[in-house]
Amino acid sequence: MTDCTAAKQGPGGHAKEGHSVTEMRYRRLLALYPRDFRQEYEEEMLAVLMTDDRRGPAQVLDVARAAVTVRFRLVAGAVQWRRAAWAVQLFGAIVLLSVALRRFLMPLTWSTSPFRLDAVDGTRVAGWAVVVVAALLGWRLLGFAGAAAGLAGEIASPARYYYDTPASVLHVYWIITAAAVVLIAGLVALRAGPRPRGWLAVVREPEVRRWMLAWAAPVLVTIPLVRAGFGAFIEHNMRHPESLRLIAPYQWVALVIVPVAAFVAVAVLNRRLEATRFRLARAGTN
Amino acid sequence: MTDAPMREPTFLMLTALAEEPRHGYAVIEDVAAMTGGRVRLRAGTLYAALDRLRTEGLIEVDHEEVVQSRLRRYYRLTAAGERGLATETARLREQAAIAERRLRARHAEFGGAPA
Repeated sequence: MTDCTAAKQGPGGHAKEGHSVTEMRYRRLLALYPRDFRQEYEEEMLAVLMTDDRRGPAQVLDVARAAVTVRFRLVAGAVQWRRAAWAVQLFGAIVLLSVALRRFLMPLTWSTSPFRLDAVDGTRVAGWAVVVVAALLGWRLLGFAGAAAGLAGEIASPARYYYDTPASVLHVYWIITAAAVVLIAGLVALRAGPRPRGWLAVVREPEVRRWMLAWAAPVLVTIPLVRAGFGAFIEHNMRHPESLRLIAPYQWVALVIVPVAAFVAVAVLNRRLEATRFRLARAGTN
Repeated sequence: MTDAPMREPTFLMLTALAEEPRHGYAVIEDVAAMTGGRVRLRAGTLYAALDRLRTEGLIEVDHEEVVQSRLRRYYRLTAAGERGLATETARLREQAAIAERRLRARHAEFGGAPA
């Protein structure tokens, strides 16, 4: 950011005016930072920027790059939400593995015909089992591969019957959402989880529990979403098997957007709560 | 605070604050002086790092003052920061000692000529 105004104008009032123009430009640049960060450091940063004689594009680039870093750190760097992500990956995969195992083994209890391995069921069981192991060992790539296989299995299973019973997707939509959540949580989870004795201790931390709620929100919201938003759709298909309705594009959009919005809403509330507590704690110590 | 090695700017900033509490611009100047001008932190990098170090509990605010109607906040090293800096210093010293030993052995073996 070159101070052209100050350079062109003479000393006294004009120089002062140029000075305030530079300050205004820096303030505009500092607007790139999150509000909480600005409240804490804006005046200090401004003082340093105004004192530093290395003005120019490199200075602007440094401020902009740091603003991106700070914003990214707010989301990805917060330890609590990554610890919560680890817990969600592990416990979510255990739940999904239990459900997949139940469906995998159920035919054995009532079917008299010889056991035949269903590829989709097998993929789901193997996928979630791999995710459980990967979460315990802190192997991110393996966790991603397992979760991708598990999610593909969860989608493929109802998709096979979609054109005969479109509601089959809706009945297991919470499972598909949970599978997607476990996949994403595995990508941002802290690589090394706590030692076995610490597993439950993680869940007892209030901050982690709040972030686990954010992770669980997309799954929880699918239940009222399907009941309230698709009740008439399911009833129509049950009463009129001769004229089945498929899920409309806008309904697919709602199925994707509502869970994402639920996560964002709880995450924003969490962030605000954490920022307020952090400010109060700093005010108390400083 | 993890056990991962510190990045150089972090190490230098903590070193600057190990001597006495300093405000932002004084940290920039001290780091530049320590490194003979090789590392000259800029405001964005400096405050992103200061905020991270405060969050990790390695530094804290010592006091504030207003100079020419501008806020000046002094930061100091905490006990955790002192431990972190000591650990990193020991790690660097150990690595430098290994490098030094190997260079000495190499000189002895090749008589100073490149291998």
